[in-house]
Amino acid sequence: MEFSYEVKDSYAEVKADGRLNMVSAPKLREFVTDVIAGGSNRIVVNLENTAFMDSSGLGALIGCLKAARQAGGDLRIAAVQPQVKMVLQLTSMDKVLTAYGTAEEAFRND
Amino acid sequence: MVSASEIRRAVVIEDDPDIRGLLVRVLAKQGFEVTEAGAGLPGVEEVRRRQPDLVTLDLNLPDIDGLEVCNLLREFSDAFIVMLTARADELDKLTGLDNGADEYISKPFSPRELQSRINALFRRRPSAAADSANRSELERATEVQQSLLPKEDIRVDGYDVAGMFRPSRSVGGDFYDWYQTPEGLHLTFADAMGKGMGAALIAATVRAVMRSTGRRQDLDGAFASASKAIATDLDSSNSFVTLFHARLDAASGTVSYVDAGHGLALHVRSDGAAHRLPSGGPPVGAWAGSQWPQSNLELAPGDSLVVVSDGVLDVFDSVEDFTEAVRRATQGQDSAQAASGAILALAPAETAEDDVTVVVVRRLPDEAAA
Repeated sequence: MEFSYEVKDSYAEVKADGRLNMVSAPKLREFVTDVIAGGSNRIVVNLENTAFMDSSGLGALIGCLKAARQAGGDLRIAAVQPQVKMVLQLTSMDKVLTAYGTAEEAFRND
Repeated sequence: MVSASEIRRAVVIEDDPDIRGLLVRVLAKQGFEVTEAGAGLPGVEEVRRRQPDLVTLDLNLPDIDGLEVCNLLREFSDAFIVMLTARADELDKLTGLDNGADEYISKPFSPRELQSRINALFRRRPSAAADSANRSELERATEVQQSLLPKEDIRVDGYDVAGMFRPSRSVGGDFYDWYQTPEGLHLTFADAMGKGMGAALIAATVRAVMRSTGRRQDLDGAFASASKAIATDLDSSNSFVTLFHARLDAASGTVSYVDAGHGLALHVRSDGAAHRLPSGGPPVGAWAGSQWPQSNLELAPGDSLVVVSDGVLDVFDSVEDFTEAVRRATQGQDSAQAASGAILALAPAETAEDDVTVVVVRRLPDEAAA
């Protein structure tokens, strides 16, 4: 899995490309923690190119959300693909991790 | 007090039989000759008798508390004492006290952590037995996981109940548990996040907690207190567990259940319709303040409740395809055992990356039940 990020006007966009599983989950946490430590507490994780997520991957997203909230900000996800959407719905985590169509929309209204 | 032989001995003092079994297993694999005690005073006697090199001591014991046990032990033993506690806040208080223990570990612990702490202690007292722990952690995790499954078949009048479990090579955190009650049965079906020994130990904790709440009459209250206990344990490991817990009233066919983030239980009717039961809230430990409503379903004669792990789901492109495949696999079979086998076969062993688990509770058709 490859990570990258870009600081936009009102948020930082993190891209996570590949499979979000037990191997890559801790790396995503570390990556997002670093971005938050760098001063961005409004994070959009762009999942456009995340084709697969397992329970460890979901755990990493939850951990990142907690970290962003703790830093006084928020974490939102965008461009969620079908398998990831399915995992979020089955686990009822779609009510906690808000999904947006695109990264731009995530913080548009606040 | 170095023992004459090269064999290291350990005594496990722990009242929860599941956790005790795990500790015994983990220490045995690390090369210890292990004996156990389920309470404080018997534990002190066991240490007096065995003269061990290591004692693991649970803080909360049914007779006298762990700190008292520790004081008693220190009167005659210089064994390393590792104290275990389920509460992280207790840990802070304990480490500030000079109470004679050598190490403190909070539950749930990873065996790797336990091993490395013990190894660090024994570096001061090296032993030839240390090398004999040569089996992989994965093999031990598999044993732990297998030990959580019900040992006996369950017989409820008018019902046919079966469960099957196939571990993956990497060992996930699946397990199911059931037991008979005067009304019918209690069923727990869970999947802990992640893989390996960490997931297996979390599963063990969940099993113990869910069993301990079985006596409470109200499912809502029982689940709320159980989930609270589990979440406290999970908090330190940043993990979570999906949990489906059901209670069957055999006479009426009513199943009351709570689904925390599982979402893969199906009601398959005798007429061929299948309905998936959506989860009522997030997995336990995933999100603070979560609540899980109790739901009910009526099992008519010929109906089945089928609970499946996500290892089967992974084979399909969508939940709809999954539901349809499970429905078909359930329908064509004449026993719960055969249905479980057919569902398990949907995820071929060669390709499945995760554990695969299934439980089928089938209410017998009226003519068969008579």
